[in-house]
Amino acid sequence: MKRLSRRTLLRGGGGLALSLPLLEAMLPQASAQAADTPRRILFEFKANGDQTARRFTATGETTFAFDEFLAPLEPYRSDLVILNKLNRRYNLLGDKRSDGHQQGGASLAPWESGAGSYPIGGKEGVTIGYVLGPSADHEIGDMVLKANPTVKYRNLVYRVGQKNNDIWNMHSHAGPVGTQNPVQPETDPYAAYARIFTFGADDAAAKAAIEKRLLKKQSALDLVLDEATSLQSKLGRADQARVQQHMDALRDVERTLSGGNGAAGCLPFELGTKLDPYKDANHEAIGALFQKISVLAFACDLTRAINFNWSGNTSNRVYANLGQTEGHHDISHDSSDEAFVKIRAIHKHLWTMSTSLYDDLKGVTEAGGTLWDNTLVVHWNELGQGDAHSENDAMVILAGGAANYFKRGRYLDFQNKLTFADMLVSCFHYMGFEDVAKFGDDRLNDGAPLPGLTA
Amino acid sequence: MSSKILPVALLAALGAGAYGCQGNVDGKLPGTGNPINGSGSGDGSSVTGGQTPEQLLASAACAKPAPGAAPLRRLSNAEYRNTVQDLLADVAGIGPAVATASKDFVEEAESLGFRNNADFLGVSALIAQGYMDSAEVLAPIVASTDKVVGCHTQDAACAKEFVVAFGRRAFRRPLTPDEVVRYTAIYAKAAAKAYDFKTGIEWIVFAMLQSTEFLYRVELGAAKGSDFTPSQHETASRLSYLIWQSMPDQTLFDAADKGELGDKKQIEAQARRLLKDPKAARLLEYFDQWLDTDRLNAFARDANVYPGIAANLPELLQNETHAFVSYMLQSPTGSLSELLTGQYSFVNAELAKHYGVSGPTGAAYERVDMPGRSGVLTQGMLLSHDKPTRTSIVRRGLKVRLDLLCERVPAPPNNVQLNLEALGDGLTQRQRLEKHRTEASCAGCHTLMDPIGVVFEGFDAVGRARTMDEGGRPVDTTSDIAATRDLNGPVANAVELGKALANSQEVRDCYVTQSFRFFYGRDYTAADQCSMAELLIKFRDSKQSLSELIVALTQTDQFLYRPAPEAK
Repeated sequence: MKRLSRRTLLRGGGGLALSLPLLEAMLPQASAQAADTPRRILFEFKANGDQTARRFTATGETTFAFDEFLAPLEPYRSDLVILNKLNRRYNLLGDKRSDGHQQGGASLAPWESGAGSYPIGGKEGVTIGYVLGPSADHEIGDMVLKANPTVKYRNLVYRVGQKNNDIWNMHSHAGPVGTQNPVQPETDPYAAYARIFTFGADDAAAKAAIEKRLLKKQSALDLVLDEATSLQSKLGRADQARVQQHMDALRDVERTLSGGNGAAGCLPFELGTKLDPYKDANHEAIGALFQKISVLAFACDLTRAINFNWSGNTSNRVYANLGQTEGHHDISHDSSDEAFVKIRAIHKHLWTMSTSLYDDLKGVTEAGGTLWDNTLVVHWNELGQGDAHSENDAMVILAGGAANYFKRGRYLDFQNKLTFADMLVSCFHYMGFEDVAKFGDDRLNDGAPLPGLTA
Repeated sequence: MSSKILPVALLAALGAGAYGCQGNVDGKLPGTGNPINGSGSGDGSSVTGGQTPEQLLASAACAKPAPGAAPLRRLSNAEYRNTVQDLLADVAGIGPAVATASKDFVEEAESLGFRNNADFLGVSALIAQGYMDSAEVLAPIVASTDKVVGCHTQDAACAKEFVVAFGRRAFRRPLTPDEVVRYTAIYAKAAAKAYDFKTGIEWIVFAMLQSTEFLYRVELGAAKGSDFTPSQHETASRLSYLIWQSMPDQTLFDAADKGELGDKKQIEAQARRLLKDPKAARLLEYFDQWLDTDRLNAFARDANVYPGIAANLPELLQNETHAFVSYMLQSPTGSLSELLTGQYSFVNAELAKHYGVSGPTGAAYERVDMPGRSGVLTQGMLLSHDKPTRTSIVRRGLKVRLDLLCERVPAPPNNVQLNLEALGDGLTQRQRLEKHRTEASCAGCHTLMDPIGVVFEGFDAVGRARTMDEGGRPVDTTSDIAATRDLNGPVANAVELGKALANSQEVRDCYVTQSFRFFYGRDYTAADQCSMAELLIKFRDSKQSLSELIVALTQTDQFLYRPAPEAK
């Protein structure tokens, strides 16, 4: 049993147990770390492509102008970098790719796809499977954990809406390369909040209870890890890998049992009346909760990488709040003008929701500014033009002060010459991992981050 | 089954889409590359590599036991819940406690429509924490139940006794001496901190419920001559997880202890016993996942189009299919044919009112004749992929094609343009699709789905029989089924399609394949052909009995043997 430090006792036990008076006592310490304010990244997903011709009314580098559905972003333009027309190059993967939605939905994990999970295929002998490698949120998170012993969670993965997990709605992947290993997201914000935040009392009895609970958990983990190690030695290679993955997960859990950072913004909030997370009509409220949880997780420095999804790809949510009666994906396949009116309405609605994330980030002060100043939000979609299923013409919008890493307030057109994967390399560099020259399959990379982005 | 929520959306594309798919439509789909989908005759040879099952079994390939892969399987969420429920059956009120403890488990990643494929049951940090949180809820409940703890001396000896007895059930085999030491040590750790006896027991249970020995169905196997089999206790678990989706009961434990699970006859006798037990109702998990009746609760219908629909309709529909399938399983004559053709169902008062049939007046589901219906085809399964405002001919057709015929459908091209409404006002969806199929580029794919889907137009998107569609136009259910192995031809309505499906070897082969996937927890491969041949023969000889197929699944090489261990 590891010796318990006083800090561990006070915070450990379940998730992050922080008592409020104590939290305040720690403030000066947090401020002292100002020179080393962490950088964070949040990938934010919207589904089904959009209408590429209606993104902008002007496309000058600094004189760009948003068209209707991007208009909610105008007040934030000085902190945005618009990356228009990135290619994904999935045609280069030959038969080892899934359909447009699924492969595009795996854009954060730019690898070939396996097969065998859904009986729709294109060419001879091919069915749809999960991608064969990790996603950027997972890999960035991994690097953060290795570099920062105090960060608790590699990444957090959230999805609004569906509870089921299939090849269409899982956007985070754990790898390793060559393995189909999709990561299930958290879909219930109430459970997600309870899992990582515990704000408890600070009396002696509470401390004793926390100590007892921590000892119980640590003892069990030690035992189970020992036991799994001895099990591994009796198994074949494939099964050993299964157990290894489980053991890695247990070590991840162990990491979350103690420690934490008592930063100023790390304060509880009220989740409100509990809503059904799986009803279309509740998507706004559920999404807003996940946004707030994400912001708090950053504020508490529980993680620095979040994969947040407004839905799975190919989402067929009915936006009744916009007066619609058909599913989003159904509408997206209709090329009529009336259908595009609805598509633009959906996107405008979701982009407006995105700005509430911006405001939440701006609302948390930390050393030298706000969370917004040290966060990068990466907006993406599985498709470019929705009705055509185009995989090129991808639009990525980088939002946030992002530690002044990027030269902001600009529109850049990549004319489908460089790739989404190159953009991910830029994300690694922003996060401080500048020795990453490529991410994903070689064919989808140009061996460098996107040019001309940095300040 | 395969077509869950997202696929539904994909099918929407199909629904209106100009699928320029290149598939030929002569009864053989392109792109199978899998023995499931050969073009075959009515003897099952399509799933057994071109030979008849009898020929294959008589061949050198099946001369000695030929089990396929036996990957380490984590318990699925359903198996976890059932297992904990049975492990702690002596604890009062354990049902709600288990539900609470595991309520935040994330759903397994789906593969081929099922959520228990060993390849997709990996454990992430989120899942590991879920197990920890669940164990934290359950362990103190166990520690507080004298009946479970057993001894009363409240000392280390008593704790050890508990480790041996409880561990044997939790790990589904006797513990090794090392394991006994390990778990009594955790008790000692609590005792050293001056925590009470109950705390020590709690810590033991807390750890055991997170152990890989509990969470996985570990099989180390045993040599049997030049072959390898599961051990007796591993066989007990194979039986109980196949039929009960849970741990063995005391009778199975005893049989394993005595070495009475070593031959096929003994195993068959146990399988038949398990099937008669109320816990066999857990087989419904398979039907729920296959037929998508577990997805009904996600359906939403536009109240303007379907006014006055009961909010709990999804639950009523799931109960209906459960009652119907249970009826099939409880009788040896309950067959795949009956499952697809029965012109009756099981409804309670609420559902009877919805369907407009008379009879039941209470909450219980009673059998009622429903002429024009066709078993599960016209139950909740049919509706699970409809749209908020109308039926979906294409999705219904695709559901049958993928999950009852085990066919594949080519992927849509990327430039698919969908605007069927533009084909003309005042047309039924059927007429629009017919016009659509006059374009050769669309016909290739839509011929795979539409002719099956239109047959169900006699039922609306909430499952009621109808003669007029949502637009007030008369429905036409006549069709000419195409692009199948053995059921091409004209049908007038759902009843006739049900009969055609019931007489189709393609459907039978598919049903056995789906059962293989779910009950063995992985996809069927060419290496499993000997086991598949046995299953096909037994299924045929039992006149496609659903319950006999369950028994047959315990009699294959795949069940009785293990592959040779890897060289270390």
